[in-house]
Parts: sequence; C-alpha cells; structure tokens
Amino acid sequence: MYTILICDDDRDIVSALDIYLTSEGYQTVKAYDGREAIRAAETHEVHLILMDIMMPELDGIRATARLREGSNVPIILLTAKSEDTDKILGLNIGADDYITKPFNPLEVIARVKSQLRRYTALGGAEKGPGLITAGPIAMDDGAKVVTVDGEPISLTPIEYNILKLLLSHPGQVFSSTQIYEQVWNDPAYGSENTVAVHIRHLREKIEINPAEPRYLKVVWGLGYKIEKGA
Amino acid sequence: MKKLQCSAAAKICAVLVLLAAAFGAGVFGVRALISSVSITRSSWQDSSRFYSAIDERCQNLVEGIEMSQTLEELEKQIAEGTANPLAYADAEALREEKARMEERFSRQNTWFRFRLLTDDGQTLLGTNLKDDEAISRTVKEMHYFSFELWEGGAYGNGHYYDPETAGLNPDAEAAPLKLVLEYGVPEKVDDSIQDEFSQIWRLWDMDRASFDQYLTGFLNLGALTLLALFWLLWTAGHKAGAEGTVTTWQERIWFDLYAVAMIAAVVLLSACTIWAAEQLYWGRSYAVRGEDFDTFFNLGIMGAGALFAVGVGCGTLLLRTLAVRLKAHCLARTTLLCRVVTWMVRTIHDFVRLLPFTWKIVLGFGAYVIVTFFLIMGGVYNGAFMFMYLCLQLALLIFLSWWAYGYYRLRQGTKTIAGGDLEYQIDTRRMPYDLRLQAEDLNNISAGLSAAVDEKMKSERFKAELITNVSHDLKTPLTSIINYVNLLKSTQQTDPKAIEYIEVLDRKSQRLKKLTEDLVEASKASTGVLSVTREKIGMSQLIDQATAEWEEKLSDRRLTLVTTLPEGETWVYADGRHLWRVIDNLLSNCAKYAMEGTRIYLDLERGKGQVALSVKNISRDPLNVPAERLMERFVRGEESRSTEGSGLGLSIARSLTELQGGAFDLAVDGDLFKAIVTLPQAN
Repeated sequence: MYTILICDDDRDIVSALDIYLTSEGYQTVKAYDGREAIRAAETHEVHLILMDIMMPELDGIRATARLREGSNVPIILLTAKSEDTDKILGLNIGADDYITKPFNPLEVIARVKSQLRRYTALGGAEKGPGLITAGPIAMDDGAKVVTVDGEPISLTPIEYNILKLLLSHPGQVFSSTQIYEQVWNDPAYGSENTVAVHIRHLREKIEINPAEPRYLKVVWGLGYKIEKGA
Repeated sequence: MKKLQCSAAAKICAVLVLLAAAFGAGVFGVRALISSVSITRSSWQDSSRFYSAIDERCQNLVEGIEMSQTLEELEKQIAEGTANPLAYADAEALREEKARMEERFSRQNTWFRFRLLTDDGQTLLGTNLKDDEAISRTVKEMHYFSFELWEGGAYGNGHYYDPETAGLNPDAEAAPLKLVLEYGVPEKVDDSIQDEFSQIWRLWDMDRASFDQYLTGFLNLGALTLLALFWLLWTAGHKAGAEGTVTTWQERIWFDLYAVAMIAAVVLLSACTIWAAEQLYWGRSYAVRGEDFDTFFNLGIMGAGALFAVGVGCGTLLLRTLAVRLKAHCLARTTLLCRVVTWMVRTIHDFVRLLPFTWKIVLGFGAYVIVTFFLIMGGVYNGAFMFMYLCLQLALLIFLSWWAYGYYRLRQGTKTIAGGDLEYQIDTRRMPYDLRLQAEDLNNISAGLSAAVDEKMKSERFKAELITNVSHDLKTPLTSIINYVNLLKSTQQTDPKAIEYIEVLDRKSQRLKKLTEDLVEASKASTGVLSVTREKIGMSQLIDQATAEWEEKLSDRRLTLVTTLPEGETWVYADGRHLWRVIDNLLSNCAKYAMEGTRIYLDLERGKGQVALSVKNISRDPLNVPAERLMERFVRGEESRSTEGSGLGLSIARSLTELQGGAFDLAVDGDLFKAIVTLPQAN
C-alpha cells in the first residue's frame, strides 16, 4: 500500500486525482501549496509526490528543491507551463518526471505506477554482464528480454535490434540510414522510411505517451536517440 | 585688504596724490628738460642760444661798420660842401648812433671780443682787445666773418673765412674794400660785465648746478605718480558693498575709441609740454634783462607741469578702464574692432558651415587652385613663393589627414554600433564639422535605437509573461473539466441521454484542450517569444520521420502519401522541433480536410540556395476563401466550424517558418490545395 502526496492549489484537480489514485488502490495525502506539501511529507510516510509548479506561498520548483535536501522520494511535476525551460529546470532540480496540464488521468496513473515500480523494486535489480539499461528500460541481451519498469514487453527482432543499437550508445543520434545499415546490414537505398515506422512502433511499446516520449526521442531532421541517463 | 581696496576715501586720496605728483613731476621735468641742454654740451658756448647771440653781435658790428662808413662819406661831403642841407642832421644822428655802438662794444660793457682786419690780414681797422691780448688766446672759439664793403652796403661772404687763402683772393683789386671780422667770447665770463653772454653763462651755470636736483625731483615724483597709478589700477572696479567688478559709464564706451581719444590727448599734451619747455628755454635766452621774465617763466613752468599732469590723468583714465575691463573679462566684448572682427569671422564661419557640402568642396578646391597657381607663378622668380607653396601643400596634407582620421573614427564608431553595441557614442571632439554632424546624428540614432530595443525587450518579456499566465489560467480549469468528465464517464448512467451528453462534453473538452494548446502556440510563434535554435537539419530524414508518424492516421482516412525526394540528403538551416511542427500541422491539415481516397503529394526540391517543400492535396470541401485568408487565424476552408481543428494550424505553420528565416506560401487552384515551405539551404 503506497501513500501518494497530491499537491495543487486547485482543489478540484486534487480531488479528481484523489479519486483516480484511490480507485487504483493508493492512499493519498492532500496539500494545497508548497509549504503544506513539505509539512505533509515530513509527517507522513510518502512514497510519491505529485506536485503542481504554479502555486502560492511556495512554488513547486522551490518545494521540490527543499524536499530533495532530505529525501529521494519520486516527484512528478504537474505543469501548466509548456515552456521547455520549466521542464528542464524541474528535472534538474530533482523531479523525476513531469506531466503537462491538461493531462489525461490514465497517463498520470501510468506514470505514477512506473515511478513507484522504479523507486521500490528497481533499486535491488542486479546488473548482470549482458544487461543494458537506460532509465526504466532494461535489456538482457543473453535472454533476449526487454523490460520497462520491470514489466517485460514483446518486441519483433528488428525492433529489438534497433533498441539494442540505441541502448548501447545512449545520447548518440543515429540517422535512419545509419540504423538501417547497422540493423539490416545492407546499404540503404531509400528504405529509411521503414526505420521510422519501426521506431514509431517501438516508441509506442516503450513510452507511456508516445506523442511525448521520455526515453526514445526523435531528433527531428537528424535521427533518433535514447536519452542519456534517463 | 579688501576694505582698503574698496575704500572711496583712499581712492580720492590716490587721485589727488597722483595729480599733485604728476604736476610736480611735470614742473621738475620741464625744468630738467630745459637745463638738460647744459648737461649734454661740453661748453656753455656750444649752444644755440650762444650762437644766435654771437651772430646777432656780429651783425650789429657789421651794421655799425657800415654806419661809420656812411658817416665818413657824409662828413667828407659836408667838408667838400656837396652834402644836401639835411645831411647835418643825419650825420648828427649817425654820430650818436655810432657812439652808442662803440659804447655797446667797449670792453667795459661786453664780453664780446673782435678784431676787424683787411682781408690780407695786414691792417687792423678796429678792435676792443687790449694791445697785449691775442684774440686767438682770449676767446674760447674764434669766429670769422668776411665781407666786402661797398659804397652803401656790405656783403658778407659767410662766417668761415679761411685766413690762409684770404690773401690770395684774385679779385682783391676789383673789390673796393674787403674786410675780415674775427670775433669770439672768452671761456671764462662772470657777472662783472653784464651782457647777454654773461646771462647765457649764468643760466647755463645755474642749469648745470640744478639739473641733478630737477632730475631727482622728477624721478621721485614720477615714482610717486606711478605708485598712485598702481594703487588706482589695483582698486579699480572695486566698490564697497558690491560683489565682483563694478563697471562705470566709462566702460560702456568702446575701448578702442576711448583708447584712441585718450592716447591722442596724451600725445597732444606731451607735445604741448615739450613745446612749452622749448619756448621757455628760448624765451629765457632772449629775455631782456630787467624785465620781469622770471615770473612769466615760473608761470610757464607751472603751466607745462599742469599740462603734464592732465596728460598723466588721461593716461590713468585709460589704464584704469583697461584694468576694470580686464577684471570684468569684458575687454574683447567692449572693443568695437574686436566685435566687428568677431562678427565678421563668425558670419563667414557660419556661411561656410552652412554651405552645402558639395559647394564647400568646389569652392575650397577653386581657392586652392587659384592660390597654387599664383604661388607657382611667383615661385618662378622668387624662392619665398616656392617655400609658401610647399607650406600650402603641407597644410593641405595635414588638413586631409585630419579629415581622414575623423572619417576613420566615424567609420570605427559606425562599425561598433552596427555590430550591436548601441550604447557606443562616437567621440566628436576635434572632428571636422561635416563629419561631426554625421557622428552626432549617428549617436542620436544609436541612442534612439537603444531605447527602442529596450522598449521592445520589455514588451517581449511582457508578452511572454502574459502568454504563460493565460495558458496557466486556461489550462488549470480545463484540467478539472477533462478529469471530471472522465470520472463522469466511469459512473453508471441509466439514462441513455445522459450518456450522450457526457459524450458531447468529452468531445468538446478535448477540442477545447486542443484549441487552448494551439492558441498558446500560435501567439508564441507570432510574437517571436519562442526560442529558435537553427542548425543543420536533414530534410529527407525529417520527412521520413514525419511520414512515419502520420502514415497510419492517413491510411485510416484512405489517403495515400506520395513522397518525392531528391537524390541524397538535403540540408537546411532550421530548428528541427519547429520545422517538425510545420510539417506536422500541414499533414494534420491533410488528414482533416483532404478528400478521402485521394493522394497527398510531398515534394522536396533544391535549387538556388533554397529548399522548397510542397504539400499538395485535394480538398474535400470547396475552398471558397482565397489563399491569403486561409493563413489568417481561425479561418478554415469551409465556413462551418463543426469539424475538428482550431483554424490555427496554417497560421502557426507560417509563423514558425518565418521564425526560422523561411517563407510559407499557399496556393489554391480549384480544389487543389498547395502549401510551399521554402528554407535556406545549408552547405
């Protein structure tokens, strides 16, 4: 039974999230500004925090920074700001993920689950010789098994090979041509489109919201990459 | 000290002292001037006074000799009985006259010594020397006068008779009687015999004795005058109870006019003083003894002193006003000449300045050519002109260098400002006038630009803030709506109508979400708040990625994508994420508005440093609006707004393309809809 702290200055959003999370079987603690959130995190044993950025008294960024001083509890930022700089700032300050408003409740639950799995289970996962990981994605090359947050996903051999190529070079951008030549072992003659389609399928399997990928990212006009250190 | 400087009493005292001292100095000066003659000559006989006196004696003597000859002839006629009846009376009168003359020239009555000789020097006709006296030893300097004695008159040959050649006169026989007068005055005379010579000597002696005294008096009083003058100059312009320099009516007169008048007065008065001194000098010499000349002389001296004092007074007034003007720093301002010259210089200067630049060059060049021509012409004959010509060239070189340096500074400044440093101010000191005007204008522009840029930055920040806040304020309630509609959907509804209503709410809230997002994005893109990071982007790669994203959705609508790409990768300079949004919007447009079962053509073309991507599709509904209108916000191909889409897609696409330095064009040909994105090609 996990306890989730929900913090937003809009009470309706808090109660809506409360209903969703409670129906998923989580306990919730509510807070309506940054100060209350910090107090609640001190008094309750909290396993995850959903935190709005724009709040009175103490905003989400500052509160996150304050909480990070003594805890590594997962924090997901809820943000109405769609500015990239806000997201980057939030992640740099110690948040683990973010969801932009207006959000889909299902996406929230999926992200909450993912973060909780990572926070509770992944800590003890042993790193075998053939294990390649990036964020929640783990690939056991020996067993040819790929898991996301510990949940195995089924991939076609081509998808598997593409993911393996990208995972073994995190942060590096591969163009469609490079991926084609490496995975198919053939010179590419206008068959790059295939690569793009495969990667889209791959993204749909790995990412919670494929339109806003967190791990397998599209670098528009250049290629694809696995986010380094994600 | 300040008090003393301002004291009116001290000033009046100084004026009185000045005038008194000047008067005294004048008196002593005139006296010293008169007596200076005695100092500069070695002997009292070496003076014009003496010469004129001795000449007069000589003339008198010659007249006396003529008279005695006339008398002799008259007596002879009387003795012969040929004289007219009145001759006796004449003779008597002549005899009286002769006696008086003899009396006058006798040793007892004069220091004048003479010898009358025939011109051969043999016969002595008359003298007032003693027998044992030689005239050459008696007198200080011997004078000669030779003359011919005719019947009825004497004709002098001049003063300087040479005794050596006298006897060799070839006309000796022709002349009736040739005579030589030797005369002079002894060096030592005294008051034992009183005549004009003793008087001259006495005055000379007196002058000689008192000259030092007069000079000392003059110098002392002159020093006192100067002291008083300096005091007056020092205190000039200061007045008790007044700050700064006080000017009077005198300072309102043009200085040069004042100076000319005063200098003329001083010169005139000095000339008068000297003239008076001269008159007095001569007058004293000729004054007949016994007349009351001394009183007149003294009065004359006083008058000369007064003239001198007035002259000094005039000079003092001039110096005083000069001092006041200098203290008040208004000398140049109150000088007519200076004002006129300043005015003329300024007028010419302004005229030249205001001349159009072209005229300046033309006139300057013309003047240069003329001057050069004359200098070269002159230089053929005269080296000085050649030198002046060289100097002119040097001056021209310096002038041009000055100009060039000014231009260089202007250029540097312009470059700096153009480089983005709007705060930069060009240093306009010692710049040529025309360049300075340019530089000042540029400085003003840069200041104005700087302000405008600041203003723009401020408004940009304001816009960005506004968009962020509005988007937050819209998104927060929208989040609640979507969430609660979702919750409502999960509840059990028995009424089929309620289920239908919830469906509507769900659909519309999703549409509202999309609209909000598009709205924020459109305003961000059109206000330029978005940050653009342009880099080398592969167009073929991007189109691949985009088609991969859209292929399924398009095929769901039975739309076929036909892509034509040139050989190899096509590189452009663009921001990948923004360019993706452009293509995404275009393809989403196709998905929404293209007629089902048709093909969508995606063509990429390279050429002339530009890359053009065109997207063509057949519209499902007739396009009843012109292409330009389609790009406006909230305009869609069909008038009804029932379909999905915000009507912002094309507007966003255009703004984003333009942000990246590209061009976005639409063309409508019947039902054919064509969008062209043109971007600069990267090498």
